[in-house]
Amino acid sequence: MNAPTLYGLCAAALVGIGLFGLILHPTPLRKVISFNLVGCGTFLFFGVAARRGAGAGFAGDPVPQALVITGIVVAFAATAVAVALILRMLEAGVATMDSRPEPPDDLSP
Amino acid sequence: MIPAQVTAPDGLLLILALFLPAVSLLAIFVLGLRRPERIALPTLAGGLVVALIVALQVGHSGQAATYRLGGWLPPLGITLRADGLSAALIAMAALILFVVAIYARGNFGSEPDGAESRQPMVFWTLLLGLATALNTVFLAQDLFSLFVALELLTFSAVPLVSLEGSRETLRAALRYLLFALSGSVLYLIGVALLYGAYGTLDIASLHQVTRADRATSIALGLMIAGLMAKAALFPLHLWLPPAHAGAPAPASAVLSALVVKAPFFLILRLWFDVAPQPQPAIAGTMLAALGAVSILVCSVLALRQARLKLMVAYSTVAQVGYLFLVFPLVMGSEAAVPWASIGWTGGVLQLVSHAFAKASMFLAAGLIAQAMGHDRIDDLGGAAQAVPISLAAFALAGLSLMGLPPAGGFVAKVMLLTAAVATSNWWIAVTILAGGLLAAGYVFRVIGKSFAEPAKGAPPRNAVARSSELAVLSLAAVALMLGFLPLQPFAYLAIGQGGLP
Amino acid sequence: MTAAGLLIAAGLAVPMAMAVGCLWPRFRLRAIGWIWAAPIPALASAMFARGGGIVMSPDPLRLTLALDDVGAMLLGGAALLWSAAGVYAASYLRGQPGTGRFAVWWLLTLAGSLGTFVVADVTSFYLAFSVASLSAYGLVSFDTTAKAKRAGDVYMALALLGEAFLLLGFVVMALGVPVGNPLIREAAAVLPVSPLLAPAMILLVLGFGLKMGLVPLHVWMPLAHPVAPMPASAVLSGIIVKAGVIGLIRFLPLETGLPGWGAGLIALGLFGAFYAVVAGITQRQVKTVLAYSTVSQMGVVAAVLGAGLAEGAPGIALLAGFYALHHLLVKGALFLGVGVVAESGQRRRWPVFLAMGVLALSLAGLPLTSGALAKYATKPLFGDGLAATLTALSAAGSTLLMLHFLRLLRQMPAAAPDAAPEAGIWLPWATVALASLVLPWMLFQHVTGYALADLFETKALWTAVWPLLLGTILALGLFRIGTALPQVPEGDVIVLAERLMPLIQAAGRHIETADRWLRKWPVASAMLIVLAISFALAI
Repeated sequence: MNAPTLYGLCAAALVGIGLFGLILHPTPLRKVISFNLVGCGTFLFFGVAARRGAGAGFAGDPVPQALVITGIVVAFAATAVAVALILRMLEAGVATMDSRPEPPDDLSP
Repeated sequence: MIPAQVTAPDGLLLILALFLPAVSLLAIFVLGLRRPERIALPTLAGGLVVALIVALQVGHSGQAATYRLGGWLPPLGITLRADGLSAALIAMAALILFVVAIYARGNFGSEPDGAESRQPMVFWTLLLGLATALNTVFLAQDLFSLFVALELLTFSAVPLVSLEGSRETLRAALRYLLFALSGSVLYLIGVALLYGAYGTLDIASLHQVTRADRATSIALGLMIAGLMAKAALFPLHLWLPPAHAGAPAPASAVLSALVVKAPFFLILRLWFDVAPQPQPAIAGTMLAALGAVSILVCSVLALRQARLKLMVAYSTVAQVGYLFLVFPLVMGSEAAVPWASIGWTGGVLQLVSHAFAKASMFLAAGLIAQAMGHDRIDDLGGAAQAVPISLAAFALAGLSLMGLPPAGGFVAKVMLLTAAVATSNWWIAVTILAGGLLAAGYVFRVIGKSFAEPAKGAPPRNAVARSSELAVLSLAAVALMLGFLPLQPFAYLAIGQGGLP
Repeated sequence: MTAAGLLIAAGLAVPMAMAVGCLWPRFRLRAIGWIWAAPIPALASAMFARGGGIVMSPDPLRLTLALDDVGAMLLGGAALLWSAAGVYAASYLRGQPGTGRFAVWWLLTLAGSLGTFVVADVTSFYLAFSVASLSAYGLVSFDTTAKAKRAGDVYMALALLGEAFLLLGFVVMALGVPVGNPLIREAAAVLPVSPLLAPAMILLVLGFGLKMGLVPLHVWMPLAHPVAPMPASAVLSGIIVKAGVIGLIRFLPLETGLPGWGAGLIALGLFGAFYAVVAGITQRQVKTVLAYSTVSQMGVVAAVLGAGLAEGAPGIALLAGFYALHHLLVKGALFLGVGVVAESGQRRRWPVFLAMGVLALSLAGLPLTSGALAKYATKPLFGDGLAATLTALSAAGSTLLMLHFLRLLRQMPAAAPDAAPEAGIWLPWATVALASLVLPWMLFQHVTGYALADLFETKALWTAVWPLLLGTILALGLFRIGTALPQVPEGDVIVLAERLMPLIQAAGRHIETADRWLRKWPVASAMLIVLAISFALAI
């Protein structure tokens, strides 16, 4: 097993752990963290693609590295929006950061 | 083959379509936040002009317009390309955004000497953000730019949902954000897999080289699932009803009309331009099956809603289902290429006429709620006397949703039915008709209640701005005018398809 | 663009323009006094513009109007009835609130129904049919009572269902012709050899049968007629129902012939004819009995069309149209006459009763009336077998039903002894009644090709009279039993459908519960992953 394959398997593991948390953890902040985990796994995939697609003489294909940088910025912005919303919800008394389950889906006026 | 020319002159308008709203968004911050609509409205008007010119040029020349950023060729460069379908969609988006902006002057217009205030500032800047994002989605030609555009779309849409700041809307906004992000991240994994397999993300290049192997299948499966989550196809619709019902009326209009269509447009691109041809029929049938369930179940749910805006939001989920019926209809047709079939034109016409009709319906619902002070359907008695123009617009938009002549929705329905019968997909034909009947149920329910006598002791009605009512009526009128298109495949939508110049 | 074509187009344009004019309040207030004038151009075109046509929009839409003989016959009769009923409505509704609203719905329904007789391409037919169908809702639910609301809801639901059937049927038919918007006769000509013949025929019969009142799709009629205002009932039974008839006349390939389908249609029609008689004799309301009579007569028309379809000879369309014209005028006159009777005092009633008696028995085929002419003209189509006997028996059934109707009419409470209906009420009725007696005589020779003298032969007279005698005997038996018959609720089968409502509501609740479960975050995100995997496997 060479390095790219190992990193690829790590990336898959990260995505799996992140998706698990995204689906099952009830509190919003944990969902945000899980989303970031999945994002990390995805960027690791890009890294593996960069190494495997490297042309002669290069250590890695530069294009995926550019994509990862952009992706990190996008994920950062996503996290910022999510955290801002969670903070606002905290101020309004809606969400808490402990493990209490999400309030029931309430659509009545 | 990639043409030798670097940039077509008419392509400059394409970058202007992206550039203009983004620059004015920044300009609002620089030039003062007290009267943001004074910058936003002219920008959206300018955007409308640009979009119309692009659409006319594409139609006139019969070729797609192309723009390469910096002159760099793919796969390293970013290309913008407006073929017939994209040009029609950016024109549609620009028109709806402009009319919604005129309507929103009533809600979010700021006082002449007032201090800067949060809601108008956020609304106008995010509206411009939506304009940029939508144009990018419709024009970009590589999968990663499309990812960035999708994210920009989500980030512009989410704060609009919670603009009022109440608890329910905050919760709805967070749910929307997190579910949309789940979809995006699946999309991104797919992009990584495709890059790893082929070394390029440019759609035109991928069209040449994709083959049916496992990596491509997994990548496409992830990407399509992620996009379905963003388009709120049943059963991934959990975020849409509270989000669209909780947003203020102009925001709901843009969200339902435009924001949920962009992911569908991307699924179309992936299906016909990236996926290896021919796609297996089972996948198309699965998409259509999900669409059919969406139509039937969500129309029934719309019938059972107690609040007007929730009903319209469920109606959006149902109507998005119609769009997904297109896939087996186009694939099974006898036309030489998919975009020459009547199912393609029917699907696109359904998209466009629903956009106008739903925008009009949400705006009308907003005016009705403003006039009556509430939006409970059972207590809408007297709305017909209070806001007749809004109710007329609601009824006209409803005509399009029901698929009754002479509206655009009717022509789209006939085209889809023709395609369904021609490809022997009788179950799709029955679903389309059943959806129309259910839509008639929920539209007539609202209209019937509005014509009832008002309850005794009802609070007095509020006045609504005349310009807002006329804006609503104009959108409904456009939905109606689309009904005068001929019942044939529309050649305009075939311009530039299939990698032809 | 000939003068004839322009006149035909004017026949539709004038009512539409008047309907649009009702957007202005000042016109709307006075509109009810002018609705009698709306069908006059159409009447003129029926008399003078036969054979004309006009293409109203360029390729590829090609909305076409064309007036052939069948269309002219029905257009003229319909325009006459619309005009007379319009005069009637102006007097009947004077002083009531909502006349402006009534006028708008009236004018739109008028435009649509006259349109169905003159359009020549599939799209225009669908447009005209939809306008007529959906606008009639306003006429049915004009009263604001709960009964009217229920009737209106049933009407609307069934009208939309019929539209759905017809749309699919038209789409199937249009597939056989390469042009985007084919002429009806082109599409009908291709139908017999089309691979989609079965679905097309089923959908057409369902859609048009719903409008015509073929059992069991007739349920809206007995509900709608009693609650609509009198002139509206007259046009509903007289004209709107004929939109279904003209649809079948135009869309069925009557010249080529389809024996199996024709036999099926005969069976369906005759079943409806007898069913409606049985349901009708248990009714107590005068207008409901007339509604069931329409259902019965439309069953006979369907049987006529079925016989024609089985034979496949030219000229069938004219015969069916002739029968429809007879029913149009007579039923319109009967409805208007009920109003005349209601407003007449004891002394003035007898002449009116006599006329109503002649009209009512005309439906059963009383010799020398239009009914006899129509039955004589269509009898040869059935040949000599079971169908012919059953058709003759249906005339006996009609006699029974009509005598029941006349008895109920006599029992209607009278107005003050000296009361006389105003001119605006009895004049239109008299005009239509006269037209129903005279017009068919004028058209008989041209339509059927038989000589008028044939009607006076002994054989012809006996064929007409024996069902009447049989029916009278049965009626005497009915009057003996009197009120011992069970009451069939108005709309009969619809009551069964309404019993299903709790089931439907429960199903809706289950769907809501399922949706609430699906909208839980873990369930939805799990579905997302499941879908991703499914598509990954499928693509």
